[in-house]
Amino acid sequence: MSLPKAVYSSRDIEEKLFTVDPNNSRYQTTNGKTTGPSEWVLNAGQVDVDRPSDPRVKDDVSGELTYLSKLRTNLTGLQDDINEFLTDQMELAKKKRIKNEKREMQEQEKRIDDEINELLDGGDGEEEED
Amino acid sequence: MVNLNAVPPKNGRDYYIAIGLEGSANKLGVGIIKHPLLNKHDDGDYSHDCQVEILSNIRDTYVTPPGEGFLPRDTARHHRNWCVRLIKKALEEAKIIHPTLDIDVICFTKGPGMGAPLHSVVIAARTCSLLWNVPLVGVNHCVGHIEMGREITKAKNPVVLYVSGGNTQVIAYSEKRYRIFGETLDIAIGNCLDRFARTLKIPNEPSPGYNIEQLAKQCSNKENLVELPYTVKGMDLSMSGILAYIDSLAKDLFKENKKNKILFDKESGEQKVTVEDLCYSLQENLFAMLVEITERAMAHVNSDQVLIVGGVGCNVRLQEMMAQMCIDRSNSKVHATDSRFCIDNGVMIAQAGLLQYRMNDVVKDLSETVVTQKFRTDEVFVDWRE
Repeated sequence: MSLPKAVYSSRDIEEKLFTVDPNNSRYQTTNGKTTGPSEWVLNAGQVDVDRPSDPRVKDDVSGELTYLSKLRTNLTGLQDDINEFLTDQMELAKKKRIKNEKREMQEQEKRIDDEINELLDGGDGEEEED
Repeated sequence: MVNLNAVPPKNGRDYYIAIGLEGSANKLGVGIIKHPLLNKHDDGDYSHDCQVEILSNIRDTYVTPPGEGFLPRDTARHHRNWCVRLIKKALEEAKIIHPTLDIDVICFTKGPGMGAPLHSVVIAARTCSLLWNVPLVGVNHCVGHIEMGREITKAKNPVVLYVSGGNTQVIAYSEKRYRIFGETLDIAIGNCLDRFARTLKIPNEPSPGYNIEQLAKQCSNKENLVELPYTVKGMDLSMSGILAYIDSLAKDLFKENKKNKILFDKESGEQKVTVEDLCYSLQENLFAMLVEITERAMAHVNSDQVLIVGGVGCNVRLQEMMAQMCIDRSNSKVHATDSRFCIDNGVMIAQAGLLQYRMNDVVKDLSETVVTQKFRTDEVFVDWRE
């Protein structure tokens, strides 16, 4: 079977391709790293009874997973990759926003200081025309 | 003229079969129903009498620890991880072996509700539609409640009181729409009860509202209600202030704040009010407000039937109070259903969805299946009624 893949594209960043490595344990489980219950409910004493069902093994002697179970495990890993990528992007966006806000704040403070100093120096607060 | 037989059943059968998927809040429901093809449905207003047969009605609730509500992310995860298992179980119970051949339509909740859980369920609906090659119908959750209530109780044209964890509305049908006559201005009644249950730290199983009802039954001081704000605003009502007030009383009770003269005797400091008294007073106060606006809506539309739907509609005390009003009013009748149909379920989505399907209202393109958190009851064109 062909392996699933995903592509993320956006105006802001280069296109990102997500692929499955079938030999990596990350793509062999239905219990994803990022798709579990939230920490909040676990801290509140939640017992996780809503886990995804385990992948199903074929009835024959091969011991292989069924087609749909294989797909589910592959997609679980792929979903983790996407979630981690998007979380990183959100962190980057957050840092950028904080930086911008800080810069705007400094610029505003500087402008207010300049205006006050100008008034103290006897100006009328209006910008002079050339 | 309404012709409910406009779309014939699949494969020349004399009945329709629909599967409904519901997951707008913390309940995940899958229901399968059957409508016989009846001649009387060729022409006439019989959408309340489809002679529905319920083939399966499976539900699983996402339950959180006492004191906690349900978060969208974890609720969506619950639905995602249980949806396939529930669909399989529902098909098995309905004895449907070949969904492609046997199912006429797949109905899903389009809104209103919590975005993430709605999204989980619609993905399952789309997948089944593509897998089985069966058309989809998006259903308004509130209309689902109304149509199920009408079918079960056979109430032809009632004033509907829709009371649940996310909605509080008084509705009446007029000219192809379910018109909202009155509604909450802030939180829903079920939300008010659930959040008070969280303050009391009582279990969320089977449901917080049910546990409040049981505590209220144990109230031994029913003659002396704790005075609470009564906030009917015309045809609307407001409940957030009542919740804030009763929450503060409960907190004072737990802290044994003897300065609170409502809870403790001025002279002796003896406790006058119990948790059970608070539950009873809260229910009486809120339900009295609902009865008032419902009665006014009945007067507006000159109706003698009330249908109570939604999760809070299971509350026996609310049904009693509404029945009393109806008797006092003109010997009219209150209709209500039990928890199988009151509480969110897949069958109600199948019922409303099948009515839509029979009027040839189906999804033409998957882009029409995008779910929405805001979807008012009166946005739906009700072409299956006169």
